[in-house]
Amino acid sequence: MKNVVVSSVLTALIVLSGCSDKEPKVEEAVAAQEIVKDSSSAESSSSVASNIESESELIVRLEKELQTIYFDFDKFNIRTDMQSKLSSDVAVVNSKASKFSIKLEGNCDEWGSDEYNFALGLKRSETVKKALVAEGVDVKRITMVSFGESNPVCKDKTKECWSQNRRVDFKLLP
Amino acid sequence: MKIFISLLIAVSIMFASDATIEVVKKADSLPSLAVEDSSISYDQTFKERFFKSIVADLNVLSIFNVDRNYRTVSYDASNVVVENKDMNYVLRYKLSEGENRALNVELKIFTQNNVVFNKIYKLNNPEIYMFASHEIAYDVNSFMGEAPIEWIKRKVIFSRMISPQKSELVISDYTLAYQHVAVKGGFNIFPKWANKEQSAFYYSSLDEKKPTLKYVNIRTGSVKVIASSDGMMVCSDVNEDGSKLLLTMAPKGQPDIYLYDVKTKNSKVLTTYGGIDVSGQFMGKDKVVFVSDRLGYPNIFSYNMNSGSIEQMIYYGKSNAACSVFGGYIVYKARESSSSFGDNTFNLHLISTETDFIRRLTAVGVNEFPKFSIEGDAIIFIKNYKGQSSIGLIRINHNKNYLFPLKDGKVQSLDW
Repeated sequence: MKNVVVSSVLTALIVLSGCSDKEPKVEEAVAAQEIVKDSSSAESSSSVASNIESESELIVRLEKELQTIYFDFDKFNIRTDMQSKLSSDVAVVNSKASKFSIKLEGNCDEWGSDEYNFALGLKRSETVKKALVAEGVDVKRITMVSFGESNPVCKDKTKECWSQNRRVDFKLLP
Repeated sequence: MKIFISLLIAVSIMFASDATIEVVKKADSLPSLAVEDSSISYDQTFKERFFKSIVADLNVLSIFNVDRNYRTVSYDASNVVVENKDMNYVLRYKLSEGENRALNVELKIFTQNNVVFNKIYKLNNPEIYMFASHEIAYDVNSFMGEAPIEWIKRKVIFSRMISPQKSELVISDYTLAYQHVAVKGGFNIFPKWANKEQSAFYYSSLDEKKPTLKYVNIRTGSVKVIASSDGMMVCSDVNEDGSKLLLTMAPKGQPDIYLYDVKTKNSKVLTTYGGIDVSGQFMGKDKVVFVSDRLGYPNIFSYNMNSGSIEQMIYYGKSNAACSVFGGYIVYKARESSSSFGDNTFNLHLISTETDFIRRLTAVGVNEFPKFSIEGDAIIFIKNYKGQSSIGLIRINHNKNYLFPLKDGKVQSLDW
């Protein structure tokens, strides 16, 4: 769900000041309001649900064929052992998945939630993007995002686990 | 029960021996203070909760040896309770319920059985009692002639990861005793207050096709899209009057720092290095301090907006990936151990740009995301240690650290 609900409250974060013979108060009122985004578009798309569903199934199937690219600690260059996986991915996106856009999701291990870690994930995505473009994938089909350390596939405190999180995943978009 | 304060460490510092001696002497010489409860409303659970809150706040002031014994007495009693007769200060308060559930707090401070300070506080909701406690601590600090500590009254906004790609933006007090989920559902990170009044904030939404910066007015609940960028979109800093933002964007996959004008909506790229440039922080009117890997590892640099010159700011630490700036001071995260994944992995350091002064502020765990208070005398940060995510507070001038553990989830980023 993409719903972003901005609820309210902070009801009355009142913090006050006063003195012995007065009772001044400063009130910071926050209106109670709820905003639900995208609800209208969800309804309007229901009439073509059957088409979308078959396309969704195709996307799910193709995404399973696309192989994740893994990286070394604090690095964003493609390892030699990842080259064959990348070639396989290029073949899929240039043939069976040629009608879809490609979203490259960069990820990092758990060592830092700061912007730098997100940028590292992005540079990993960018490296994969350059490799795809070099193999003839239309650059306009590719978007990138970094999830930093916030999208782990493994949460154990081991080097093997951390290495699984330093990766770029492929997602297909209609 | 909601406030867990643990004094973590009396921090190690550079110029170690002299400073350590000074800290020990200071701790011994702090005046004693006891707290007496004269409440006439509310059940015992609430009374004790308020008592713990105020004792914790007074302890964080770091200017008293605070007695933690809970004692009751009539508010109008002219003398302090006998057990407190040798205390330098006694703070007595009375909680009473007013109209429409309002919480009234009457307060006085005794020195040698003389009332030297009194004040009345009023909250319209007893559930946010902790803000009365923070306000009282602020006033006691001022009464003692200490420098102002506005941070104790301010709200913290943080992103709490609840599962992969799922987060909440939470507004809290500095102790996490009060928590309100402001944005839930989706994947939203890097919240940043939009103004001094804390009436609005920016955050990055990763639920859209491209990372998108949004602005939320918390008084009206309205949300508007500011800008989006392929790859990355983060509001790293807001200038003093809220008119300029430092953004990290990557429209072509290249993370760089941009100066964004809130009024004209125009942005100007500041850094053009082909690697990573992120986390811009305003330093005065002319400079931006930021994190870059231009030396092959993350470190802190400054960019002069007039001349375009770039200067390395930090010469200590192997992986300096985050910082905060106040005046001529920079607090930054550094990896010190040679082992990438050792226990003693990331610590915070404080440097002065005008001297060679460097001071390590934390000792164990992964300490990151430091943010100076608006007065610059305190630093808030994220600590992850042994599976526990906490918000930490450093009282720089008092050499004391305090931790406030998060019950659920993990703190991703914060601002105050």
